[in-house]
Amino acid sequence: MSPETNQQAIKPVPLKPAEPVVKETVTFTINDKEITVPKGTTVMAAAKQNDVYIPHFCWHPGLSVAGVCRFCMVKVEGRPKLEIGCNLTATPGMKVSTLTPEVKEAHKWALEFHLINHPLDCPICDQAGECKLQDYYMEVGQYKSQMERPKVLKPKAIDVGDDLVLDTERCILCDRCVRFEAEVTKTAALGIFNRGDRAVIGTYPGKKISHQYQTNIVDICPVGAFTSKDFRFKQRVWFLKHKPTICPGCSTGCHVDVYGKPDTRTYYRVKPRESDVNQFWMCDTGRKTYKHLNQENRLRGAITSGASRKRATLAEAYQVLAEKIKSASVQDLALLVAPQYTCEEYQKFFEFFVDKLKITKVFEWREPTEDRKAFDGILYRGDKNPNSLGLRQSLEKRGLVKPGQEIPGFNDVAASGATCVIALAPEILFQYPSLASQMALLEELSFVSLWTVSADLVASKKIKHALPMKGFAEKTGTFLNFEGKVGQLQEAFPSAVEDARDISETVTSLGEVLMGLS
Amino acid sequence: MVAEYPKILLAHQGLPDSRSLKTYLSQGGYEAAKKAISMGPAQIIDEVKASGLRGRGGAGFSTGMKWSFVPKDLPGARYLICNNDESEPGTFKDRQICTVSPHMILEGMIIAGYAIGAAKGYIYTRWEFQKEIQYLETAIKEAYEAGLLGKNILNSSFSFDLDHYMGAGAYICGEETGLISSLEGKKGQPKLKPPFPAVSGYLGRPTIVNNTETLAVVPWIINHGGKEYRKYGTEKSPGTKLFSISGALNRPGVYEVPLGYPLMKLINDECGGMQPGRTIKAVIPGGASAPLLTPSEIQDATLDYECMAQKGTMLGSGAIMVIDDRQSMADLLRITIDFFAHESCGQCTPCREGTGWLANIMMGISEKTAKTEDVNRLGLVAKHMGGKTICALSDACAMPVMSYVQKFGDELRDYLKQGAVH
Repeated sequence: MSPETNQQAIKPVPLKPAEPVVKETVTFTINDKEITVPKGTTVMAAAKQNDVYIPHFCWHPGLSVAGVCRFCMVKVEGRPKLEIGCNLTATPGMKVSTLTPEVKEAHKWALEFHLINHPLDCPICDQAGECKLQDYYMEVGQYKSQMERPKVLKPKAIDVGDDLVLDTERCILCDRCVRFEAEVTKTAALGIFNRGDRAVIGTYPGKKISHQYQTNIVDICPVGAFTSKDFRFKQRVWFLKHKPTICPGCSTGCHVDVYGKPDTRTYYRVKPRESDVNQFWMCDTGRKTYKHLNQENRLRGAITSGASRKRATLAEAYQVLAEKIKSASVQDLALLVAPQYTCEEYQKFFEFFVDKLKITKVFEWREPTEDRKAFDGILYRGDKNPNSLGLRQSLEKRGLVKPGQEIPGFNDVAASGATCVIALAPEILFQYPSLASQMALLEELSFVSLWTVSADLVASKKIKHALPMKGFAEKTGTFLNFEGKVGQLQEAFPSAVEDARDISETVTSLGEVLMGLS
Repeated sequence: MVAEYPKILLAHQGLPDSRSLKTYLSQGGYEAAKKAISMGPAQIIDEVKASGLRGRGGAGFSTGMKWSFVPKDLPGARYLICNNDESEPGTFKDRQICTVSPHMILEGMIIAGYAIGAAKGYIYTRWEFQKEIQYLETAIKEAYEAGLLGKNILNSSFSFDLDHYMGAGAYICGEETGLISSLEGKKGQPKLKPPFPAVSGYLGRPTIVNNTETLAVVPWIINHGGKEYRKYGTEKSPGTKLFSISGALNRPGVYEVPLGYPLMKLINDECGGMQPGRTIKAVIPGGASAPLLTPSEIQDATLDYECMAQKGTMLGSGAIMVIDDRQSMADLLRITIDFFAHESCGQCTPCREGTGWLANIMMGISEKTAKTEDVNRLGLVAKHMGGKTICALSDACAMPVMSYVQKFGDELRDYLKQGAVH
């Protein structure tokens, strides 16, 4: 697809919203680097915006300032004491340093205080490799601990939520999780109990965290106190690579990183990536969207109908489908499309089937029970498809549907009289609870070519033609979220399945075979 | 002995039924409140500024200055809080005011409330003061009945309500923002500053927190003028102050003397000297969080903020603890550290971990399993706990520890060599 058509297909919305008009700015220096920020910005926030790193545990850009870890100590020229950068408002001409011997000494001691009662069980801790305590130890510590007394012992391996295990000994009481619960989900399910060095994070007696944003707590926990039941003990993080992409779980389109292990082509987790769409968070439903990518759940090769259903090479499968299309009239052909593919894939797909082959029967494959207007007030939307808008724009552009008009749906396929249906199946199956009954209906049709990621969908022997597709983490492209913001599937993993192709690749190959027939 | 200075705070001590409104009124009580309301807020603050009164809770910050930090034109509620959570180990002066003249506190609060534009005040009393709680509640009831509290008090347009709230025994709730957190129904933890309470305090509104003794002295200043108050005490520490003095003295107790009063004179005259056979080993001049002074350091010591600062310690709350020759410094240091480790709220890492670490090391010293270098380690850990936290509790623990190690390090090391604990 040419870049021009790409630009027509999508209406780009800038990734960053326009900066609010700021009347006053403040110019000051950190380590002699001149920095200009809006008036009222803290030194810590200013540093982050300008790629100056001030070590910290408790400060988080998405949460209120707690100022308790006392790690972000900076020296302001002319002031007697060190101050914490997170609660220090930048003033004109202020000279901040993070490099003086006094600051370095403060960092070293702050780390020592954080570590004296820490169990130092890195070899069995899932956070190892992405732990702030480890990072800072390498950066500012590397001393022999002066702590020679027995450590304070606290409860371990506490089940605090559907996906959360808490180790209060590893906890450094930075309070991020408590603030997250109070400020983001507003559930206030966590608190700090007791005081002094007996203080522990906990839930109210007998209560567990049950909302669907809880794994964010694992992300913001700077140490290994909160670990995810889904991820713990599965993989060492230093073996993982991550690629920036977009969550396909709903129409919010959170910016995420998918983590996989390249040598085994196995996926392990999805984490949010900072953006103006999702800030720093994502829901736990979105975090499950890596599971279907793994080989055990994948359609590993093409299937064609013959005397009996059999595994086929892609070439054989393209041949079967091309012949079927060739022999059918336009009235026999229909396209059934789930809103879970990229704008670029739709462009290629409709360019071929609609613009070139003149198919007019196009149907949208949706979950019938979904409430598209629903919204949980944080991120999760009732439209459980990442690219509803992209699909709609592609169809509107071709006059197949008018603005504001419903796209013909799944139940209209049978009534249309089409006998040869090319179906782009949904990728995220758990968002389609009615899928079993929908598949039963599809199986009644005389010919369906099912293009899918999932092995589950072809479990029934009645599906006689299927092509293996790439998952969202295995392709690049664009989703348009509910409000038209562009989400880039920036980098692709090599597919876990050798034969998997994206829609564009499949259409190109199929087109070549079809050309050969005439 | 005839005193050459007035009793301001303890003026009514010894009068029959001194706590009652009747007695208080007979001594000219609530005249200052009347006068203050006729003066107007700005003039009250000026008068208090002129008196040079410094906060009696321990920090010694100028009271008039503090009041003037309340934003003047901000609409909405403001609050006045009387910090009666007297918890600094060795301090028992505020309870004396509650016992002798609770109405003096109430009158001070009416004046202060009027000065800062607060229509609501709270007294926050430590829960352990069960008797004093009763005295204050009786006084508040009497004042309401006499039209001294509530709507249009003293037939003026000024309305002032007063509530009484009891802490639950946490030392940290005596820190003004910890107190505010507690009053708000939250865990008693100090708040990050800025913003300061005078701008954003109780329920996010401008709030002034004053110590009981500070408020109790205000009526006298209004009656007699700031200039008169300055006649007593020193230039930088004007007025009189209550000192709660304890130890092996013949007459320990609460004494009101002008600031700048010689410490030895207080010990030898007011308190009648040491008990027979006892000699002074050390003096803690301002509560458990003040570094201690050796016998040679106290000879020329005077009880004022500047002399104590110059000697590397502080006047604090005026809790003088005289340590005699039979006390073990190791035992004293252990209970001091244990107190702070127990009372640390646990927010800030250096305090939470530091106080616990010191207690942990000290346990080793008490058990005599520690090494001699652990004594110096106490001082080293304490040094790095100081000046790094939201509130001063970390410093309150670190400063005395450093002074014990510096001045009595040899005794601590000798203690370790003595063998098994007995």
